Amino acid sequence: MAHVVNTDLVDDLKTLGARQIEACFNCGNCTAVCPLSKDDVAFPRRIIRYVQTGMKDRLCGSIEPWLCYYCGQCSETCPRNAKPGELMMAARRYLIGAYDWTGIGRRLYLDSRVELGAVLGLAAIVVVLFVLFAGPMTTELTAEGGVKLNTFAPARVIELLDWGMGGLLAVLLLSNVWRMHRWIMRREPGLKVPLGAYIRGLATLFTHFFTQKQWLGCKGAGERITATKWFKHFCIFAGYVTMFVLIVVFLRWFQTDAVHPIWHPQRWVGYIATGALLYGVGSALVARWQKRHESHKHSHPSDWIFLVLLLLTTVSGILVHLFRINGLAYATYVTYVIHMAVLVPMLVVEVPFSKWAHLAYRPIALYLQRVQQQARETQARTANLQPQPVQS
Amino acid sequence: MIRGSAQVESVASEPRIGVYVCRCGGNISDVIDTEKVAETIKLVPGVRVSKVHSFMCSEPGQAMIAEDIKKEQLNRVVVASCSPFLHELTFRVAVRRGGLNPYLYEHVNIREQGSWAHHGDPEGATVKAIRLVAAAVHRLYHAEPLEQIRLPSHRRALVIGGGIAGLKAAVDLAAKGVGVVLVEREPELGGRVLGLARLFPTDDSGRAQIDRLVREVCNNPNIEVLTGTVIKGVSGFLGNYDIAVGPALAAGAAGVDVGGAKDKKLSVGAIIVATGHDYYRPSLGEYGFKRYTQVVTMPEFIDLLAGASGDGIQWNGQRIHRIGFMHCVGSRQIEGIHPPQGDGKVNDYCSRVCCTTVLHQAVHAKRRFPNLAVFDFHQDIRTYGRLHEDYYRRASEAGVIFFRFHGDDPPLVEEGVDGFPIQVRLKDWLTWGEEVVVPLDLLVLAVGMVARDNRELVNLLKLPTGADRFFQEVHPKLRPVETSVNGILLAGSAQAPMTIEETLASASAAASKAACLLAHDSVELEPFKARVDADKCIGCGLCFPECAYEGALVRTSVEREGKTVTLAKVNPGLCVGCGACVPVCPTRAIDLQGWTLNQFEAMVDGLLSAPLPSKEVTSESSSHGQTH
Repeated sequence: MAHVVNTDLVDDLKTLGARQIEACFNCGNCTAVCPLSKDDVAFPRRIIRYVQTGMKDRLCGSIEPWLCYYCGQCSETCPRNAKPGELMMAARRYLIGAYDWTGIGRRLYLDSRVELGAVLGLAAIVVVLFVLFAGPMTTELTAEGGVKLNTFAPARVIELLDWGMGGLLAVLLLSNVWRMHRWIMRREPGLKVPLGAYIRGLATLFTHFFTQKQWLGCKGAGERITATKWFKHFCIFAGYVTMFVLIVVFLRWFQTDAVHPIWHPQRWVGYIATGALLYGVGSALVARWQKRHESHKHSHPSDWIFLVLLLLTTVSGILVHLFRINGLAYATYVTYVIHMAVLVPMLVVEVPFSKWAHLAYRPIALYLQRVQQQARETQARTANLQPQPVQS
Repeated sequence: MIRGSAQVESVASEPRIGVYVCRCGGNISDVIDTEKVAETIKLVPGVRVSKVHSFMCSEPGQAMIAEDIKKEQLNRVVVASCSPFLHELTFRVAVRRGGLNPYLYEHVNIREQGSWAHHGDPEGATVKAIRLVAAAVHRLYHAEPLEQIRLPSHRRALVIGGGIAGLKAAVDLAAKGVGVVLVEREPELGGRVLGLARLFPTDDSGRAQIDRLVREVCNNPNIEVLTGTVIKGVSGFLGNYDIAVGPALAAGAAGVDVGGAKDKKLSVGAIIVATGHDYYRPSLGEYGFKRYTQVVTMPEFIDLLAGASGDGIQWNGQRIHRIGFMHCVGSRQIEGIHPPQGDGKVNDYCSRVCCTTVLHQAVHAKRRFPNLAVFDFHQDIRTYGRLHEDYYRRASEAGVIFFRFHGDDPPLVEEGVDGFPIQVRLKDWLTWGEEVVVPLDLLVLAVGMVARDNRELVNLLKLPTGADRFFQEVHPKLRPVETSVNGILLAGSAQAPMTIEETLASASAAASKAACLLAHDSVELEPFKARVDADKCIGCGLCFPECAYEGALVRTSVEREGKTVTLAKVNPGLCVGCGACVPVCPTRAIDLQGWTLNQFEAMVDGLLSAPLPSKEVTSESSSHGQTH
């Protein structure tokens, strides 16, 4: 089927952060220099071409944007200064919006004022809910001198709300993941994927989810920088996931009125996780502010919103803890409300609709790539042929 | 230039020959044993001096030769070095410095035809060098001192074509004090450039450019302008051309104002051909040409864009939103893919200017109408010239979308859908050969340049044309604006597709060359011309049909034993020294000065009798087939 060229896609991608991508004259330097580009999944040039000619279907079915970790070498070596790295970044934003069937993601990305409005609106709702339904703000302290936070906001109620919100977000995210899966699989219509391939690929899914080790393949001039960037990102990831698990699964154990001794896991696990988050998010913000590395030079508003929300969540969480164990009752309650007013929009806006979603899409892209590879190998074996890379 | 020296050589005097073998800094001596060549050649009779030098063309090398001529009383010189194209003239001058007639010199090429050609066989190459030098020595036994031929000439040039090339050539020639007659077929000067609304890289209009030159031409009393005039007849030779011109009124072109052009005779010394090019005319249906009204050629689009009002480009009453540019229309054609032209050949050459023209126009269109969607269909982008690449970059940055096709699978133009009148369908190699469809409102065919159909002029001037039908120069690098006819030069796109900048450079080059040829009241020609020994000529006339150069051989009547006989005589101005007349002469009355039959025979003797260094080498070289 011949593809009818359209010129809208490039405008979309420019709104999403692609810079002078029209300047690209398809020389392929970017693909040649990219340490992660392989024969069967060659990028960034392929993605640039899809954007230039408006091949939306092809772009939506591409896993390539998720395989790029933005080392920036392509942008640094581009003879036309077309910033391929920034295009890949914009393509990820585009895909997050495109996978989302509600269309909210796309709206949030295309207009940052909408995203900011959503965040503030949700925060306001949280505050209103607390004002209306929160428990009494007692100044009575526990035996250890801690604030009775669970009187103000009982953990079992918060927990239920957590689960309700988590369930909703999970449904949204998973339905988007399903669309992503369908589009990617449609790229190779002749490929029959046996169930076994999906199961065998799960190891890849978990490895990449927990380690982001693909990133370390960004070798080249800046190997040390890559490792440092990966480590900072890992701190954010590990701290975030730890806190997420504590809050969603173990809230009753985590949000206690009792002040545990310092060697109690509730305290040191929390300290390590928040410390990692603080370090990771803080240095990410500083790097984007300083614009030294290619990948930090052009931040989209959505990048800032995500990092600032994370930072505020972390800081307010830490403050709640400090105020609580020191018996500052009102300060505890106010920061708790602030903490929730930041945390809720951070999750609702970011998880299914914005930057957070890459936590799911990146490992799933690598997983589907692995599944496709295995399916191809199986198909080749049954056809008694050697596996052949797809045309690049 | 070499001038005849006062030195007179007695041909009968015993030959005293100097042989000089050049190492060429290793270029020769890395393969050929130059010392052995010099040593062995001493055995050839008449060789008095035989020497080797690392760079014979250097000042010390030349000085050595001049000194030896005086000291050793040499009366013949051989230099074995590079191609005579490079240094024959150098050594003729060196020989004259020594007080010897410069034509008592022979140049042997042992580099291009020796060390470079036989680098795998040093012994064979050495033997070959010895044989070639021996042949040259033998040839010199029969050498005579020669003088350059000096003919009176007109210090006036004819420029054919009043386009930008002709105008520029005329201005330059006049500035050097050479009179110019500028002949233009059309009633107005200016040619094709007048139709170009906007030129790269200066962005001024063609008319502004032409007006400037026309003003200079018209204000110069040294330039005579004949518009509405064509060339009717050409005869003569360098320095002495007789031209007949007349009104351009062609049959059936009644009513064309010839501007008072009338028949006229001109005498000029040199001719500059600046007749320009034609645009390629696409065949019916080629890229939808004439099948869809929305397919236009580049010259048409240039007018369209120049005439567009502020609210957009209109074509046939339709507003244009999406424009495509098709490169290589009528250029880089492939046999079997594209239909042949009138002469059965395809235009396989690149027209060179179309890529930059497309991008220049695209950038301009995008700047005027930013909402215009512009698409570019190319095989390659060849923005080769100074600043041309800028247009490519700017076109990209302005959002022109590029598609690349393979020459053997050109895009198709078909009827459009969804409100678009036409669409282009192609396999886009920038997208891995995927088939893409581009709906368009207008498709511009970047037509290439083709040679003008100038058969009459070609016949009159007897100029060679290349396979591309353009006029051909003698050598693209060494003699880029000269034709094989002495005194006829090329300027501008009559020679090949070129940009206006290149056209102007070429016009200036042709003007300079013509000014050199006409620098004096006479012209000097090499003495290698046929010569008739009147005593031997029996007037049989066999030589006349052999001569391909009209007027080079003439009949002359002389008194012999009381009777008037008709003999052959050579006009040295027209003789090119091809030698075609020599072998048919039954009495050997006709011969070529400097290349006589005797000399050829002597060279064969020299080749065969050359002393060879040792048996071992000889036998080996025989087995390599190096012997003659």
